[in-house]
Amino acid sequence: MGTSDLDRQIEQLKRCEPLAEAEVKALCLKAMEILVEESNVQRVDAPVTICGDIHGQFYDMKELFKVGGDCPKTNYLFLGDFVDRGFYSVETFLLLLALKVRYPDRITLIRGNHESRQITQVYGFYDECLRKYGSVNVWRYCTEIFDYLSLSALIENKIFSVHGGLSPAITTLDQIRVIDRKQEVPHDGAMCDLLWSDPEDAVDGWGLSPRGAGFLFGGNVVSSFNHSNNIDYICRAHQLVMEGFKWMFNNKIVTVWSAPNYCYRCGNVAAILELDENLNKQFRVFEAAPHESRGVPAKRPAPDYFL
Amino acid sequence: MCAAAWDGPTAGDLKAAGAESIPGGVRVKGWVIQSHKGPILNSASVSLFEDKLQTTHLPEMVFGESSVSLQHAQTGIRLHFNALDALKQWKQEALPPVQVPAAAKWKFRSNPSDQVILDYDYTFTTPYCGSDAVALNQDTMQTGLDECSSLCWEDTDDRIDLVALSAKEPILFYDEVILYEDELADSGISFLTARVRVMPSGWFLLLRFWLRVDGAVMRLRDTRLHCSFGSKEGAKPVVLRELCWREATFAAMSAEGYPSDSAAYADPNLVARKLPVVMHKTQKLKVPS
Repeated sequence: MGTSDLDRQIEQLKRCEPLAEAEVKALCLKAMEILVEESNVQRVDAPVTICGDIHGQFYDMKELFKVGGDCPKTNYLFLGDFVDRGFYSVETFLLLLALKVRYPDRITLIRGNHESRQITQVYGFYDECLRKYGSVNVWRYCTEIFDYLSLSALIENKIFSVHGGLSPAITTLDQIRVIDRKQEVPHDGAMCDLLWSDPEDAVDGWGLSPRGAGFLFGGNVVSSFNHSNNIDYICRAHQLVMEGFKWMFNNKIVTVWSAPNYCYRCGNVAAILELDENLNKQFRVFEAAPHESRGVPAKRPAPDYFL
Repeated sequence: MCAAAWDGPTAGDLKAAGAESIPGGVRVKGWVIQSHKGPILNSASVSLFEDKLQTTHLPEMVFGESSVSLQHAQTGIRLHFNALDALKQWKQEALPPVQVPAAAKWKFRSNPSDQVILDYDYTFTTPYCGSDAVALNQDTMQTGLDECSSLCWEDTDDRIDLVALSAKEPILFYDEVILYEDELADSGISFLTARVRVMPSGWFLLLRFWLRVDGAVMRLRDTRLHCSFGSKEGAKPVVLRELCWREATFAAMSAEGYPSDSAAYADPNLVARKLPVVMHKTQKLKVPS
């Protein structure tokens, strides 16, 4: 696959037109070669712009690029949850993957809890692939790639980035580096926690979710993790925040959320975090794409003789 | 998502029904029926809600400004559907948390010594079937519900006439309002919505709480309200309220021969009839004189 092919595919995907099945297969093979070389704690240089959950909201991701600048002019780090819930998971993930293959050093993609076979079968990506391609092959190619995505990133040795959060099984970054990540997201253990856990005000140390599974971590946990790993703060995604970003525990952890008007109904704004070469922070807040630019007019709900 | 766009009721339909479109609603046969939709609560409003509810846990998406209201000027009846009142009743009912299937395995994980186990009902299950009040005069219609006395509902053998409601009368007003929603951290779905439709013969409202904890349990709590306008001018409105609660575990569904994967239970409309009824009653509104 040549650069000109890739450039053409990127242009096509930017118009929200999915690739042919054979092209997806070739793209995924190429991506695999790149991703397999990446560390579980992928090193990222500043300047870089950090983005949270996208969830298949393709037109809103185009707004993100409008605000943040095009790749490769701007370096990007995406914290996972590219797929599910929105209408365009296929186009969203393939565009990011094509950019990754075209500009491997300019864009870093790490894994979110939705980059999983099990979750995508419930929350939309599987059905979308089936609908758009008539078979589940594209879903298979993509979910295989999910297994190769890195689990976290470390920006200039100072900012630790991960989709969900910390794990009681992890106190040092080296413990993350030795995880065998090339597998479906497990139901428990360190890899699961990194993709699923949440910070929680109501606890100081570790908490267990009322669901009986899933860790919550408090301010003390974050402080000691940051201290022992000599990092300034943790940047994570995974939870909807109305203002697009939210600091917790005295600026020791920040949540970044990049899906505006989440699920096309929440009315929230989104944010990305721009770090310059000196790691100075600037949050750029943005709104959802206007209806007209999506190619669908705003409609009132059609009346329905519900009973 | 919707198959066809809707431009609202036609002027002819409104006129024939003696109805009038108003902002966010319709005025018909002495009723003012309106919906309002807002965004999810921002951080400041979340704190306000947390204070009012004495909790630190709210659904991920609380549409705190969204509501449906139905007011009848002549009798002072005021029915209102909103997230805050629904969550007050969630707090009161305080069901024990549902354990997800993975919980069994997690019990065997070596737990950190300082671990705290949170035990609030994260499913936000609520017995809420609407807020009501009777306003004594036109002026108090605008004041808060707390300042009015509440309405009285009596058990009845009457039933909501679903056959009559299936008739394709013109729809003078329609809306669907989400009051709150939570993705249960990708372990299922919990939401509370209110749908309303107004026809020349009456109005119909469905308040629905739907919960699916993947691999664990499903709950459907439907409240249906129907008001028949009656044919005589100035007739007292008849309002029926039917509560129907359904619930089943995934294990029980599987034993009945139904699928056990969550993807099969995406649409509560399709799930409803498969779930056994655990509570059912019909009530009639005692119309104030």
